[in-house]
Amino acid sequence: MNVVFAVKQYVSKMIEDSGPGMKVLLMDKETTGIVSMVYTQSEILQKEVYLFERIDSQNREIMKHLKAICFLRPTKENVDYLIQELRRPKYSIYFIYFSNVISKSDVKSLAEADEQEVVAEVQEFYGDYIAVNPHLFSLNILGCCQGRNWDPAQLSRTTQGLTALLLSLKKCPMIRYQLSSEAAKRLAECVKQVITKEYELFEFRRTEVPPLLLILDRCDDAITPLLNQWTYQAMVHELLGINNNRIDLSRVPGISKDLREVVLSAENDEFYANNMYLNFAEIGSNIKNLMEDFQKKKPKEQQKLESIADMKAFVENYPQFKKMSGTVSKHVTVVGELSRLVSERNLLEVSEVEQELACQNDHSSALQNVKRLLQNPKVTEFDAARLVMLYALHYERHSSNSLPGLMMDLRNKGVSEKYRKLVSAVVEYGGKRVRGSDLFSPKDAVAITKQFLKGLKGVENVYTQHQPFLHETLDHLIKGKLKENVYPYLGPSTLRDRPQDIIVFIIGGATYEEALTVYNLNRTTPGVRIVLGGTTVHNTKSFLEEVLASGLHSRSRESSQVPSRSASRR
Amino acid sequence: MASLDDPGEVREGFLCPLCLKNLQSFYQLQSHYEEEHSGEDRDVKGQIKSLVQKAKKAKNRLLKREDDRAESGTQGYESFSYGGVDPYMWEPQELGAVRSHLSDFKKHRAARIDHYVVEVNKLIIRLEKLTAFDRTNTESAKIRAIEKSVVPWVNDQDVPFCPDCGNKFSIRNRRHHCRLCGSIMCKKCMELISLPFANKLTSASKDSLSTHTSPSQSPNSVHGSRRGSISSVSSVSSVLDEKDDDRIRCCTHCKDTLLKREQQIDEKEHTPDIVKLYEKLRLCMEKVDQKAPEYIRMAASLNAGETTYSLEHASDLRVEVQKVYELIDALSKKILTLGLNQDPPPHPNTLRLQRMIRYSATLFVQEKLLGLMSLPTREQFEELKKKRKQEMERKRILERQVVLESQQRFEERRSDLASRAANGEVVSLRGGPAPLRKAEGWLPLSGSPGQSEDSDPLLQQIHNITSFIRQAKAAGRTDEVRTLQENLRQLQDEYDQQQTEKAIELSRRQAEEEDLQREQLQRLCEREWEREREQFRAASLHTRTRSLDFREIRPFQLEPGREPRTHLAYALDLGFSSVQSSAAAEPPAPSSALEPARVWSGPPALGQEFFPQSMISQQNELASLNPFYEEDPSSPTAGGTTSPPAAEHSFGPSVSILKEYNPFEEEEEEAVAGNPFTNPDSPAPNPFDEEDEHPHQRPSSPPVPGNPFEEATCTNPFEMDSDSGPEGEEPIEEELLLQQIDNIKAYIFDAKQCGRLDEVEVLTENLRELKRTLAKQKRGTD
Repeated sequence: MNVVFAVKQYVSKMIEDSGPGMKVLLMDKETTGIVSMVYTQSEILQKEVYLFERIDSQNREIMKHLKAICFLRPTKENVDYLIQELRRPKYSIYFIYFSNVISKSDVKSLAEADEQEVVAEVQEFYGDYIAVNPHLFSLNILGCCQGRNWDPAQLSRTTQGLTALLLSLKKCPMIRYQLSSEAAKRLAECVKQVITKEYELFEFRRTEVPPLLLILDRCDDAITPLLNQWTYQAMVHELLGINNNRIDLSRVPGISKDLREVVLSAENDEFYANNMYLNFAEIGSNIKNLMEDFQKKKPKEQQKLESIADMKAFVENYPQFKKMSGTVSKHVTVVGELSRLVSERNLLEVSEVEQELACQNDHSSALQNVKRLLQNPKVTEFDAARLVMLYALHYERHSSNSLPGLMMDLRNKGVSEKYRKLVSAVVEYGGKRVRGSDLFSPKDAVAITKQFLKGLKGVENVYTQHQPFLHETLDHLIKGKLKENVYPYLGPSTLRDRPQDIIVFIIGGATYEEALTVYNLNRTTPGVRIVLGGTTVHNTKSFLEEVLASGLHSRSRESSQVPSRSASRR
Repeated sequence: MASLDDPGEVREGFLCPLCLKNLQSFYQLQSHYEEEHSGEDRDVKGQIKSLVQKAKKAKNRLLKREDDRAESGTQGYESFSYGGVDPYMWEPQELGAVRSHLSDFKKHRAARIDHYVVEVNKLIIRLEKLTAFDRTNTESAKIRAIEKSVVPWVNDQDVPFCPDCGNKFSIRNRRHHCRLCGSIMCKKCMELISLPFANKLTSASKDSLSTHTSPSQSPNSVHGSRRGSISSVSSVSSVLDEKDDDRIRCCTHCKDTLLKREQQIDEKEHTPDIVKLYEKLRLCMEKVDQKAPEYIRMAASLNAGETTYSLEHASDLRVEVQKVYELIDALSKKILTLGLNQDPPPHPNTLRLQRMIRYSATLFVQEKLLGLMSLPTREQFEELKKKRKQEMERKRILERQVVLESQQRFEERRSDLASRAANGEVVSLRGGPAPLRKAEGWLPLSGSPGQSEDSDPLLQQIHNITSFIRQAKAAGRTDEVRTLQENLRQLQDEYDQQQTEKAIELSRRQAEEEDLQREQLQRLCEREWEREREQFRAASLHTRTRSLDFREIRPFQLEPGREPRTHLAYALDLGFSSVQSSAAAEPPAPSSALEPARVWSGPPALGQEFFPQSMISQQNELASLNPFYEEDPSSPTAGGTTSPPAAEHSFGPSVSILKEYNPFEEEEEEAVAGNPFTNPDSPAPNPFDEEDEHPHQRPSSPPVPGNPFEEATCTNPFEMDSDSGPEGEEPIEEELLLQQIDNIKAYIFDAKQCGRLDEVEVLTENLRELKRTLAKQKRGTD
């Protein structure tokens, strides 16, 4: 159930099967991302893969002394490129791997193009998704829906990605979906269709309890992606943005050239692997330790290298030292930038109010706090807008709802129209009317007691008190208490036992906060393994883009000024 | 960086629950609380404390993952089993699904290629025919005749326009025939094939026949074989002078095909420099991969002061390996600079390739060369040897200590056992129902003291050494660090072993528990039987005395009913394994020196316990002419004079009672769970075991002194399973249970990896049982 490992194994197998000799890896845009998530350059170099080329690159030289490993998505363009390639082969021999099911006719046309018999292998290796963490995958699709319905192209891509995931993990699951979402139902049906059609592929060793695929829709919980995060991975994504493990630091003031873009990968960065789920305070102290460690190991100029023994020790520690110096400067820079942003944007205070909006039900205090923050000049328009969004989502139907007043405040603060429109768009996207379940007020006795106890105890950390709605859903699922009238099964058969292997997919994107939740569930629930996926992994910014892309026009009181853009889309 | 200078900025987590004041750490929070709110509700305070502790604990668990071997028994367990598993630790998975289209692909390609190859072959055969004769010395008319015979020419009338360019043929624009396919084209569209070119193609076809079996074409077999068919062309190669008329007319299509063919031939023959260099480079790397581990082994051993390898040999090897590294460096540099001075500079991709190769070679060298530890100089080596000697000395002392300790413990136990035995005797004679008292007395004895004594000194030692290592590291004495680490590892191994032992002991105790229960049941039956027994009291006394000799025999039959092996083999086997086990417990302990003491301390106390077992086996072996059965009636005297071999065998049980290391543990991993073999060793079947018969067996057994043989069969330890949840056990046992569970998990993992699926099943079963027991216990303690 480790998705990183699953993809890595595929790539390793490809390289292994091609035998010794210099190799070139021929990929398309998407597979480049897929491979780069699981293999680092130096790692793959050691396997004699020296060149990485895009199949669509025209500037490739004939190098008959190289073997080509082609890892491509089975798209029409790729097949065409490959046909051209095979007609005039640039490399001595081709090992072709498609990341998903390819049609027989495509195979035929490829075969007919291979007049020089350079193809030695044609296989389907189902690494058709971005493996972010062992339990988290993404499809890097932003804007998967038009209104409430799928963009057809994205639906087919999502179906492919999800079925590839199932195949790579060798799971033939039962499917449940969120009834309130049409998109979830549609995706569930598409996945089922593929499973039925490719039934031969999905014949795996039966497990006692069949795996379960749960398909959810982001609309059900629009709160989570709007919150500021305080665990390392989530925070970096929220404040700096993680794109295929890469972080763009070019906007950081005074950044050195080689740190413009850094890679944060848990696979080969021990510090990151150990700290990605810790909160910012802990990271602070850990990075301090890392620095101290580094300073200890760092040779103190020449004077300490006097004796030969010293030099020897230095040389022996050198590779480690070098690696460490890279890690140190990277994390110091990242954490430093985070900390700068936190104080610059007054995020501690903002986050506190966000959490209050998300977790508590005290309207007047919340309103007061939001108002107070809107007056604060340090609070950016982005954060101001998101506070109002949270307020709007939570107190949408509250009797003394004072959203118009807050909107006024936003306008007075000088928040751009784009953000002000987004407030109503977000409510349209994930408001009460759309939600299949209640985000804010607990329904059953257990939840009520829990909240009561929470209030009694006080919260451990005000900034991380929010639990994504997904936690509750999964908790119920694990305990076999997830209601079938809200999350029905697709097809007649139902699961009698408690599920063990669970794949959750969120249409409209997952978040790193949810990834952390799943990580913790995995750690604390024996016998249960959960993998989380989404059309993408959101931070607030990308989530707002997603909302914008879905083109839901505002229906709120301000609807007089419907964004012309979304209107024209219809 | 700001976060480092100003931690207050980031430590947002410690808010006073009463005044919501933000404090920097939980210590500060605590003191703040004590100062400000000390008068207020106490409960809240307690809550903070527990909260703080929780946070601390969580933090600890997250921050330091290593270095807590001592706690791993409890903490590590929590994260492993009560909790699920960190996704990073999910068990290894197989390769995902794959589907091959190769056969389909080949089928389609073959259909296509056959056509293509036939075309090429046809052309080449014709070309050969066209060049087969001496063109220069033949009249053109004759040439034309021959040409026409090779391929039928298309009729001029049929082709009014040039098929390639569409121009009308006329007197000016004359028709030309392709000599290879017979088609017609105009002069503009006509191509010419020179004789050398033709020669190259035809001779290459011939060559390919001879070369295509050579291995140079590695996995590219597709390539060679089919081309081979082209080479069916018979050979002709005439050396020709070039003349004006030496060219063969042909159409563009045929020429294209031939050019493609030529390209293929060229590529096949041509090996670029980079490939040659690269192959050399790879060879060197392979050599390093072979030699480096060997050297590292040598160097490690030498640095540890061992004398297994000679210093000269090692330094020779070092020089050799270093030379290879230099070669790798030189080769990769050469690759890097290939073609840089050529006039048309190489394609950027070529340069990139060269850079990458160089980079990977550098990485390789960096990683491996720097891992190549240095050798000690001669003087250092001598010093090291001395140091090692001291180390050994120290170890020996340590071992002796351990031995002494265990002896002491044993002594204690013995005296206890003795009293117990005496007590048991009384009870058994009385036949009174006093099993409960025994249970009370027994458990703590076998459990707590042993454990705490066992673990403490070792752990201390481990801690000491860890701190030594730290000091040595700080002082930069790497050699010393290494030896210390070696030492540490040994200690840790030992510690692990002890943990296993404890686990084994646990299962033993479970068996014991069950015995007791069973006994209680049997008591009822026994009353009846006791009456009859009165009559045989004298005889039973006799049995008791006899038991003295059974105890020596007993190890031979430790595993009755397991395998029909000969007793002698068993005796040897056991003797051996028990010695081994003691050695394992205290590495190179001079176990022989200890033997007498144990032998003599063991039997008197234990004699009775073994009684039933020996009875079983004897009963079992009655038919198979048990050699020891003869001894059985041979009066008490035989028992008194413990013959040397017998004494040695009795060492086995005494060791196991010491809870050292179960000799059978090695034989079957899965047995650890509820290791049935530990049961016989366990002192559990206390002195009363002889009366400890199974209820339903009872009626059948004749009430004669010989009946213990019969009865004992039902106490066959192999029939007891350890799953019985021993209720109301001490908390220590729970810890042991946890360890046990951990062990089993490890075994399951191991078994899974090796693909022993049946074993996995058994183990999982065991695991489940253990977990159930644990849960039951938990409920009990709550």
